[in-house]
Amino acid sequence: MTLNQLIWRNIKKNIKHYYVYIFALVFSVGLYFSFVTLQFDPAIDDASGSVKAAAAFKSGSVLLIVIVAVFLLYANTLFIKRRGKEIGLFQLIGMTKGMVFRILSLENLLLYIGSLVVGVLLGFSMSRLLMIILFKVTGVEEIATLRFSPEALIQTIIVFSAIYVLILVMNYLFIKRQSILSLFRVSSVAQQRVQKMTLLQAVIGVLGIALILFGYYLSSRLFSDLFMGNQLFLVMILILASVIVGTYLFYKGSVSFIFNSIRKRKGGYLNVNDVLSLSAIMFRMRSNSFLLTIITALSALSIALLSLSYISYYSVEKSVEKNIPYDFSMINPDHAEEFMQKLTNESIGYTEKTIDLLEFNAELSNVLTLPGVEDINAVQNSSMTVISERVVSDLDIAESEVVFINQNELTEKVIKIRAGGEIEFTGLENIYKLTLTKVSDLAILPTRITYAFPVAVVDEKIFEQMKADQQTEFSPEIPIYTGISIKDAKELVLANDVFKELELDVWAGQESKYDEKVKQKENIGVIMFIVGFLGLAFLITSGCILYFKQMDESEDEKANYTILRKLGYTQSDLLKGIQRKQLFNFGIPLVVGLLHSYFAVKSGWFFFGTEMLTPMIIVMLIYTALYSIFGILSVLNYKRVIRDSL
Amino acid sequence: MVILEASKISKTYGNKLNKQEVLRALDLQVNKGEFVSIMGASGSGKTTLLNVLSSIDRVSQGTIQIEGQNLNQLKEKQLAEFRKQHLGFIFQDYNLLDTLTVKENILLPLSVQKVKRKVADDKFKAVAEELGIWDIQNKYPNEISGGQKQRTSAARAFIHEPSIIFADEPTGALDSKAASDLLNKLSELNTKRATSIVMVTHDPLAASFSERVVFIKDGQIYTQLNKGDQTRNAFFNDIIKTQGVLGGIQHDA
Repeated sequence: MTLNQLIWRNIKKNIKHYYVYIFALVFSVGLYFSFVTLQFDPAIDDASGSVKAAAAFKSGSVLLIVIVAVFLLYANTLFIKRRGKEIGLFQLIGMTKGMVFRILSLENLLLYIGSLVVGVLLGFSMSRLLMIILFKVTGVEEIATLRFSPEALIQTIIVFSAIYVLILVMNYLFIKRQSILSLFRVSSVAQQRVQKMTLLQAVIGVLGIALILFGYYLSSRLFSDLFMGNQLFLVMILILASVIVGTYLFYKGSVSFIFNSIRKRKGGYLNVNDVLSLSAIMFRMRSNSFLLTIITALSALSIALLSLSYISYYSVEKSVEKNIPYDFSMINPDHAEEFMQKLTNESIGYTEKTIDLLEFNAELSNVLTLPGVEDINAVQNSSMTVISERVVSDLDIAESEVVFINQNELTEKVIKIRAGGEIEFTGLENIYKLTLTKVSDLAILPTRITYAFPVAVVDEKIFEQMKADQQTEFSPEIPIYTGISIKDAKELVLANDVFKELELDVWAGQESKYDEKVKQKENIGVIMFIVGFLGLAFLITSGCILYFKQMDESEDEKANYTILRKLGYTQSDLLKGIQRKQLFNFGIPLVVGLLHSYFAVKSGWFFFGTEMLTPMIIVMLIYTALYSIFGILSVLNYKRVIRDSL
Repeated sequence: MVILEASKISKTYGNKLNKQEVLRALDLQVNKGEFVSIMGASGSGKTTLLNVLSSIDRVSQGTIQIEGQNLNQLKEKQLAEFRKQHLGFIFQDYNLLDTLTVKENILLPLSVQKVKRKVADDKFKAVAEELGIWDIQNKYPNEISGGQKQRTSAARAFIHEPSIIFADEPTGALDSKAASDLLNKLSELNTKRATSIVMVTHDPLAASFSERVVFIKDGQIYTQLNKGDQTRNAFFNDIIKTQGVLGGIQHDA
């Protein structure tokens, strides 16, 4: 038999055995190719309409390469570990290590080429589906046609060739390091060594949980008064470090510590569920702690990113509503006049709101604090936009009072304003001392004009006085603001066309709410799509890694099932235990990941949108559901192993 | 009193074209409290015999009755139930669960039966002291010696007071000292608890501890030896002789 025949037969024989590896390969190729196909598709430019999207796709594909490479390297270690015996046998019959390496490399090459072809075909069909989704989320109405992109193919081939080389290097090192003897023993060496629980482990366990809780605590105070300003970055690093190290220690010590205490209480009298779940997990988890930490950290990251991007997408409507209170914002009365004239001509019904704006120097030291910042003089003594109560419905303000509106949620986190204090507005001749009675998030003026700072509303009479008494140096940038709203929502698009036709949007500060919403949805839609894609890719890879791990474990534990079945446990007894074990095996990293991402999202979600809970819960539910599929698959695999064990 | 009765059992492997008959119409009886060894060369079918007797494998033909219960008639679940009530196992490679301590391993058969914890502790104490593993009860299998492992395995086989224990080469992986220690304990427990033991072995010394040795050849019983009133040494010599005859090449087919 020639070497080539040997290789060919090896593949034929192993293909059933190593479908896991092949699956990993095909899947990775498909994933990468479909992503790159989208990246090179001209239709994507229409959907995103900006250079930013191209950059986002590019960085996304880099990240995808990393995920795919790690995934394949991991799958390869399992693959080669399982073949340890065979490699040892080859050497035993006199092959040199170089020859063994050549066999493996050629085998891998064939597998690679096969998977590449299948993966590309799969990826190509997948990308059409993805494109439909992308158009859906960005709101672009275009029919998803797809062309086969040679650039994408070339890029895919280059990337996977590089990964192939990487795997060759890894295999080479593996073979080189092993002696014949150790190759025969490889599977037993890889098994966990059972150790006694030590005091150190208990300490590590407690420390792990403490570090995680500490990280959570810090994250909940991240944007509060505790640390503001320069330390922010430092605190973020500290949070990340303590949570990640804590997670590692949690797997290293806490899990086995907790399980061991439960086990101790049973006094040696374990039922089948305990045998299969408690005792197995407490040892396995410790030896897998590094892998589990990575999986947890990355799941947390992807859930958090998914949540945040979905939060922004979800909140586009609301936040634009806040930022632009009227359908059209006009800062030039002439333009407003022109626009309204045209609308009347087109017989589009509208309402108009004209607001006079004053700019005053305000002394805010009694009501305003800036946590963490020493020198707050600049803010406490700043200029402020003042409007009359006349333009704000539902507000009745006494002459001695002032109310702040347009309170912005983001600003609120940084600048604390308390009602009840006295404020001084300095005019040309008089100083107006008014009591701040209320701070409201009622939006009257667009953020473009307020710069996210609150707007003061005063009594009509006071307003007239102040208007006459305005300091010249504070003359407002925009004296009159006109907000125009269209009565019938159906005519909004028509009105928007008029707005654009008159080229009113080219002026700074004049904006259309409708346009803004479309623009933001496009931007966020593309980002959400990419994050979603990567999140999904990560979900699937981490799910697969856990699944492979479990497959490996089930083979290792087959002997145990044999023993237990001989002792008189039925298959269903064992399966019940396995189900519980998998609940822990998949559940613990998931729950920890969800918790991490919950705290991460909670600490800074307000930068991204206006609504946290609903979008976050939706993301988490979907993630959990998809993730559970892998748990269920692994249980099915165990079922087969248990059935075959006797 | 007969506790195990196998009549005309056959076991074939493979398909129609390539049939391999491992057991051929074999008859065997084991009495209550009896210690029986099964000997034979590699491939004679002794392990297959043990597997079918112990309900792990099913026979192709014939019947096996243990305590009047016909194993053929039992379904998979009922077989498991039967094993947990009536059978105990000792294996060559100990078959202990690495992740459990000695005590936890031994208590397994009781926890299958959902015995009360107090009762279980008492039983454990009794059997652990008899086998001299009380001191290592909290150790893990990889922390103890081969002999201790096998005694743990034996304790697990005895703890739920089964009617019959099957032992597959229990001394195969032990040195001679540990082996005779174990066998002494086994025959002690055999007499004390009146538990029948069926042991497969190829070691004449191990077989000499039992009361009866059954020689298997080509799936059939070749001959049987009874210890009777002989000393163990004399019995051992008998076994060696028979083994010599059994192992000899037959010239006439």
